Amino acid sequence: MKKIIIVMLFFVSIFFLFFVYNNDFLYSKEIMKIKNIKVMNEETLENTVGLKEKHYTKKITGIITNGKNKNKKKSLLYEETYSSVITDKYRVGDKVILSGNDIELKRDFYVALLIVIFVNSIYIVGSFKGLLSIISVVLNLIIFYIGLYLYFKGINLLFITVIEMIAFGILSLSLASGINKKTLSAIISVIISTFVMMILLLTVVKITNYKGINFNEISFLTVPLEDVILPELLIGTVGAIMDVAITMSSSISELVDKDKNISVKKLNKSSKEIGKDIMSTMSNVLFFTYLCAGLPIFVLAIRNGFSIYNYISTNFTLELSRFLIGSIGIIMTIPISTFVSIKLMKRGVK
Amino acid sequence: MKTNTILILLLFLLMIYIDKKRGIKLFLSLVFNFLILMMIFYLIALGLNPIICSLLGCFIVSYIILFYVNEKNIKTRASLKSIVIVLIILLFLIFFMTYISRIAGFGYESYEEINMFSYDVKIDYTDIAVSMILISLIGATVDSSIAISSALYEVYENNKDLSKSELFKSGMNIGKDILCTTTNTLMFAFLGDFMTLLIWFYKCDYSFLDIVNEKTFAAELIRILFSAIGCILVIPITAYITTNALIKNKKN
Repeated sequence: MKKIIIVMLFFVSIFFLFFVYNNDFLYSKEIMKIKNIKVMNEETLENTVGLKEKHYTKKITGIITNGKNKNKKKSLLYEETYSSVITDKYRVGDKVILSGNDIELKRDFYVALLIVIFVNSIYIVGSFKGLLSIISVVLNLIIFYIGLYLYFKGINLLFITVIEMIAFGILSLSLASGINKKTLSAIISVIISTFVMMILLLTVVKITNYKGINFNEISFLTVPLEDVILPELLIGTVGAIMDVAITMSSSISELVDKDKNISVKKLNKSSKEIGKDIMSTMSNVLFFTYLCAGLPIFVLAIRNGFSIYNYISTNFTLELSRFLIGSIGIIMTIPISTFVSIKLMKRGVK
Repeated sequence: MKTNTILILLLFLLMIYIDKKRGIKLFLSLVFNFLILMMIFYLIALGLNPIICSLLGCFIVSYIILFYVNEKNIKTRASLKSIVIVLIILLFLIFFMTYISRIAGFGYESYEEINMFSYDVKIDYTDIAVSMILISLIGATVDSSIAISSALYEVYENNKDLSKSELFKSGMNIGKDILCTTTNTLMFAFLGDFMTLLIWFYKCDYSFLDIVNEKTFAAELIRILFSAIGCILVIPITAYITTNALIKNKKN
């Protein structure tokens, strides 16, 4: 059975990739396949610290592959640098999207390629459960999208986010471990943790008024930052909260199943041990995921003569708060889910 | 008082509440990790090869998480071996993907943030993008690897007569559970970032196709997917290496 599905998945993947590679007709903007690149001009520029770098002006010639100008030749100029901080290096054979004088690489094929690799490998290693987790990711994204849509219609984003977090919890947890007592206690823990986290964040923000956090990174937003920042911080934690909640509740239900007469005191002690283990490993996942997002701009700043201390203390703050809030969520959920699970599993027993 | 100071204090107190000894150890290891991360960043900014720096950093970080926070034993040694193998395998795929999809550098939405800098910094941002992907996947990969090797060790301790293939199979079974929860954690960690980006796209009237081809979006998506692929790949490799180590240990 598994082999048949793997073969099917493989063929669907190939078909999908073939489609994405040839989907130029879907675009309303013109797409050009590059046939030739010529260097027109070359100059060397120097920055304030004295780093020299060559800038090239290149002329690319290609053939339009969609729309009413299909198969016509077109050429245009663009700039390329060694660092490619804001420019890209194009090569013969690339497809680019043209909009006015701007060109952008057609990246959808590469994104699709990696998605296909991901889906196939998650099925090979995780079998049916792996596919289920992909379905749950897709459903969550749909909920997320609906939430954003409602926000644009004028509903408070923090309110939407809290509702969404509960919906994410119910959906992902019941898909991942079925509808049973374990899941129920995990869902209750997620709901309680969400509210506790929200109250906690609101209090901290009220006291400190975001002092010391630098919002440069999201300064591009045209909506009020206060609207967005708290929901953004909250939603980043919900995955970790769910993870902790389900791990705690399934371990506790395992303990209760093995020994029906286990005392609440003994349960508390064992759960404490499990909690310790979860705490040590979970924080690391968030740490690197969040903090390494600061690398590109860090390099840019240091190479422009900023001192490392100045930079870290003023610019690294938003990533740090994301990590801190995520970790607080994880650790907060440990006692909450322990309490809920024990109450639920040992109900009626003294 | 600054917001982050309060948050750090809160985190520290919570860690101690869960367990005094482990909490302090964990907090110290996070401080260590932060210092190492900054050192890697700084070395990269000085102009050393970003990929070599980040690989070295990944190794040191895994070493600390495995051998300091946990202990040096048969489980953690197997995990470290598996992580090194995963990194080597993924390095080529990451480099290839970053190179062809040209996700290096900044997208339009960052221009306001970076326009105070000169862009002539003489560092190839393709390498920086590769380093970022490598560093961001290390935490999740170490996490799933240690979960599998320690669970497998428990299985073996409780039933020493299991054959090699049976042991490997139960390792894979444990892996499946870890896989689902880790994918979730990773996805939501990135959703927070996406939220601001998507609001921006909406305000700028981007279509679905515009979004998919946008540099920052593609870069973020590729970064999550590689973190997830790291977690997936480490499962069979850790299961295999831990099984071998346990069986070998029994013979001696």
